[in-house]
Amino acid sequence: MDKKTVTNIAYLSRLSLNEGNEDKITKDLENIIKFVDQLDTANVDDIDPLTSPLEKTAKTRSDKATAQNRKDVFLERSPKSNEDYFLVPRVVE
Amino acid sequence: MSIQYKTIKELASMLKGNDISNKELVEETYSLVKSNTHLNAFITLNEDAAIKKAEDLDKNPSYLSLSGIPIAQKDLFCTKDLRTTCGSNMLSNFIPPYSATVIENLENAGCISIGKTNMDEFAMGSSNETSFFGNVLNPWGDDLVPGGSSGGSAAAVAAGIVPAATGTDTGGSIRQPASLCGITGLKPTYGRISRWGMIAFASSLDQAGPMARTAEDCAIMLNEMCSHDLKDTTSLDEEIPDFTSDLSTSIKGLKIGIVKEFDLSQLDNDVVKVFEESKKHYESLGAEFVEISLPNISLSVPTYYVVAPAECSSNLSRFDGVKFGKRCDDPKNLEDLYIRTRSEGFGDEVKRRILIGSYVLSAGFYDAYYKKAQQVRRLIKNDFDNAFEKVDVIMSPTTRGAAFSAGSKGDDPIQMYLEDLFTIPANLAGLPALSIPNGMVDNKPIGLQLIGNFLQESKLLQVAHNFQISTDWHLKKPTEEIN
Repeated sequence: MDKKTVTNIAYLSRLSLNEGNEDKITKDLENIIKFVDQLDTANVDDIDPLTSPLEKTAKTRSDKATAQNRKDVFLERSPKSNEDYFLVPRVVE
Repeated sequence: MSIQYKTIKELASMLKGNDISNKELVEETYSLVKSNTHLNAFITLNEDAAIKKAEDLDKNPSYLSLSGIPIAQKDLFCTKDLRTTCGSNMLSNFIPPYSATVIENLENAGCISIGKTNMDEFAMGSSNETSFFGNVLNPWGDDLVPGGSSGGSAAAVAAGIVPAATGTDTGGSIRQPASLCGITGLKPTYGRISRWGMIAFASSLDQAGPMARTAEDCAIMLNEMCSHDLKDTTSLDEEIPDFTSDLSTSIKGLKIGIVKEFDLSQLDNDVVKVFEESKKHYESLGAEFVEISLPNISLSVPTYYVVAPAECSSNLSRFDGVKFGKRCDDPKNLEDLYIRTRSEGFGDEVKRRILIGSYVLSAGFYDAYYKKAQQVRRLIKNDFDNAFEKVDVIMSPTTRGAAFSAGSKGDDPIQMYLEDLFTIPANLAGLPALSIPNGMVDNKPIGLQLIGNFLQESKLLQVAHNFQISTDWHLKKPTEEIN
């Protein structure tokens, strides 16, 4: 774990690090990764990953529309919107 | 008659006997909220709507299981038209257009939602020190943390403001604060309670549950919180029993497992003493102790700190400043909008976990960390499956010690992560587990954890209730001198 890696994963996460705490975060992540490296002591040959404790096939429901159109309810919670859309800064100049 | 420290059962009987009206009960509750503002247990109150619901109940009485009972809701559950922040600046202005299934279930059973309780930001923390809205204080001492992440819920119940509250538990966030605040808290089997409308942290671990003064009240709450919900594909379609029906059945012949690998010699003598006394007490009730082995249990915390951050970094990618929640001022372009919104909106612990998650999921590291952690997760689950062939429940301390003071874990995140050493395994395996008060260390309460097999909440509540009808640790109040 070095500053370059941390800067890269911060960008992948769309987070910026303060210059002041970059070193601290790098150190923290390094320690955490060292801590989870204990997993290497386990013998996991031929062990299937467990993604959910239920291990049941997710139940599907019938493909029927249940929600009403509540466009206004959702748009009014947006930081910026017009009557039809969520608005963000111009993407294409 | 004071309503402070009353249980659901006691308040229901007061309402039924007309000793108090629904409106008086709610007004009394708010006066307790206001005389305890120093605890910082609530982020948002629901006063007008709560009083209106109480007035309606006085006019048209209903006799549902929770009619008129004041309940505090963790601020992680979406509540229609009532601000829901998840303890974060990111959602400090968010008013959901719908309620979580669990909130609907409780409110349909007649309860009155008093307000939204403070919590660690996005449920990431074990001391309630990561909330954007400030630390919560433990009613047992202003210098003590209440635990986390459901710290506000635990403090509100421990201070006797409400008889019960909702919590959520991803790695111990119900049981650890229950232990530190001297109350009872249950994390049900993964899938028992719908996650729809719960703001997601780690979807394969998150589970809602009740926090109350007694196991009996937890059972009353659980009866209403559980449902099979088509809106959550991981919601279990299993029979939901009446969790109160077996509470008083004797536990004679019960086999309790003690985990060989939990090294209690690392803990304070006083903590061990409390645990040993509880063992003796259970023996006197007719239970039998069996040593069991969970060979991979020591890898639980490292497994959790790969799986939980990975799921967190995916779940929290939805907070981008576009559709709801905060947005930074004057973004230069779309990328600047994303980056500044997220950097300003999230606190340090949340950022740290997102970064770990992005790292363990990134190309080249996925197999070494994420896949491996999931393989170890299976080994841990298999260990529990084997153990439950020999025993009915597994017992351990809930926490390594009693409540600690704010800031005392220093700035080393791993020290805080180890707080959840005993609680994390049940989340990884999806098993139900609860914490009950079982003694005092330095005049501070401490909890006993019981882990059950899949869907065995009734058994856990029975084992806990048997303890509570023969001891008085759950009746201790922070305002009393403890001998």
